[in-house]
Amino acid sequence: MFLPRRLVSIALATGLVLAGAGCAKDDDKSGSAGAASTLKIGFLGSLSGTYQAVGTDLKNGFELYLKMHDGKLGGHPIDLKIGDEGDGAQTAVPAATKLVKEEGVIAMTGIVGGGSVAAVAPLLAQAKIPLIGSNGRPELKDLNGVWTTSFMSSDPGQSIAQYIKDKVNGPVFAIGPDYQGGYDEVGGFTTEFAKIGGQLANPGGKTLWTPFPQTTNFLPFFSQIKSSGAKAVYTFYAGKAAIDFVKQYKQSDIKDLPLYGAFLTEGSVLQAEGDAAKDVFTTCNYSPDLDNEENRKFVAAWRQQFPDATPTTYAVASYDAAAVLDRAIAAAGSNVTAETINEQVAKLGQISSPRGQWQFGKNHAPVQKWYLRQVRADGRALANTLVQDLATVGQ
Amino acid sequence: MDAYLIPAVDGVAYGLLLFVVAAGLTLAFGVGDVLNLAHGTLFAFGAYAAAKISDGSWGSLALAVLVGTAAAGLGGALLSLLLTPLAGRGHLAQALLTFGVALVAGDRLTAMFGKDELALTVPKSLDRPVDLAGHSYPGYRLALIIVAALIAAALFVVVSRSRAGHFVRATVDDREMVAMLGVSPFTVRTSVLAGAGALAGLAGALGAPIIGAGPRTADLVLMLSLVVVVLGGMGSIAGALVAAIAVGEIQTIGVANPDLSTIAPFVLFGAMALALAARARGLLPSGRSA
Repeated sequence: MFLPRRLVSIALATGLVLAGAGCAKDDDKSGSAGAASTLKIGFLGSLSGTYQAVGTDLKNGFELYLKMHDGKLGGHPIDLKIGDEGDGAQTAVPAATKLVKEEGVIAMTGIVGGGSVAAVAPLLAQAKIPLIGSNGRPELKDLNGVWTTSFMSSDPGQSIAQYIKDKVNGPVFAIGPDYQGGYDEVGGFTTEFAKIGGQLANPGGKTLWTPFPQTTNFLPFFSQIKSSGAKAVYTFYAGKAAIDFVKQYKQSDIKDLPLYGAFLTEGSVLQAEGDAAKDVFTTCNYSPDLDNEENRKFVAAWRQQFPDATPTTYAVASYDAAAVLDRAIAAAGSNVTAETINEQVAKLGQISSPRGQWQFGKNHAPVQKWYLRQVRADGRALANTLVQDLATVGQ
Repeated sequence: MDAYLIPAVDGVAYGLLLFVVAAGLTLAFGVGDVLNLAHGTLFAFGAYAAAKISDGSWGSLALAVLVGTAAAGLGGALLSLLLTPLAGRGHLAQALLTFGVALVAGDRLTAMFGKDELALTVPKSLDRPVDLAGHSYPGYRLALIIVAALIAAALFVVVSRSRAGHFVRATVDDREMVAMLGVSPFTVRTSVLAGAGALAGLAGALGAPIIGAGPRTADLVLMLSLVVVVLGGMGSIAGALVAAIAVGEIQTIGVANPDLSTIAPFVLFGAMALALAARARGLLPSGRSA
């Protein structure tokens, strides 16, 4: 009773996969033949789950670039194929496999989580499809074909270390979440800070790691900071943890200590933090009020499309991934293939972006300037306001 | 010593909150003879109600407390119905059933409210620091200490003074005798489980800003309240109060001291293991049936 039906479905599924593979080959040929042929680009991002807000920002950034350029990159109409990365590698791999094997995309972009990038990279390498990633970026052995338009996790902390050393008159307390992202982010700060002679207030000079994600009560940690005699705090938290941290900070014994951080007030968490976020300093590679031509165009288009949301660094990185593909495809001329796109990305040089000029470094991630921002009241709403330039970081 | 004032006060806030939850669990066990592993899930009902309804006004908080308490109370009564066919099958069957219910309900909650920890909003007038002997302390938590202490006092009065309380204590001492007096065991169990659920929901609605409202909330609360119930002696309300404050203090002072913070989690479960080893027969009295 059941066996024949299952056989039929297996046969059907196999047929579909074969048909899909056939289509992919056809597209490759047509892609390399005509100048104005449609190209398929794959976008992978968390459109559900914990990082839904970030994934949606990535998607919006890429699509906004397309919309501002008549749906074309390098003169070719773009058919953007979208996959849901979900919460991590477990859901990202099947989604990426579908984009590569069934849709036959010529390049891939997006990807929120570092773990997802690590899991998807071998798959893309095998299919020789370049990844112009716009967020997550773990340490990778083989960088060939992998490009990142965002930043390395240790960059934000490194960029602000000198500023904090100059500004703060005394030891600084370093605290962060107990997982790889936390080690990279806060480690970027403590490593550079130690190098330039800064002093940590932490007992034994060891960063305080809070259990992640189960920590919702930060008050006991704040008592520890208070008794350490610190003159300022450096930290990295995102999402719900950032909201808890900032809100409790402003009602605790250390409410008057200057708070510096990365991502603490970026994106949707800022409104949830409300007045507690006022005066918090963050380092970021983007600020919506940056004064340059590309940013004015970008912010105007963004505000028209999403009147209720402030553009984030996530959206800008994805917007830039589209710009990178735009120039690389154009430079590939009449021979647009996965390989030629990858070759051209390597030759791009300076890229004009809403965040200012940047270029790919030796590690295929941006060499870029970082900015100091402070949360201030902007009209009725709170906003991350540009204070000054920080260091240029990248290798 | 001054450095530990705030963690110590915070431990009381945490402890009293745990007490309100654990009192329900210990009542369900002592009186209803039910080992309810879905108790943390009932707390989550209240926590999600607070996350979704409370928007910074007093009215919305009151509504969230009402909805959370009612939903968790109903949940407790429903559990009692589900447990009826298991009468006389012992605690293992109950544990399996309630654990299964917790898994299913947890999955439904995640489907409804998402995989994220939700952000909580407390009433505006409490959302600011208050001065406590020269230290800053969140106003909401100070208010929570007062409210939780009132709930605890009310619980003691009800159990020790009221007629229902007399039945409750009588049932703990001699279940069969109470049944002989003409009080249906089903009625006792259902009302105790509903009351226990209501306590969990109430604690959830009030305590979500401290403990959180997310997919992990139910497990965390169940685990901590099991520790409290075991340390306090199964079925003892006064014991639960002492144990809850102790657990709260370990969770705050233990974290505030850099030397203690690495061993704090072990202290908690080490103490529970010791209590179990010393009174192993007390936890699962195999000869007794509902």
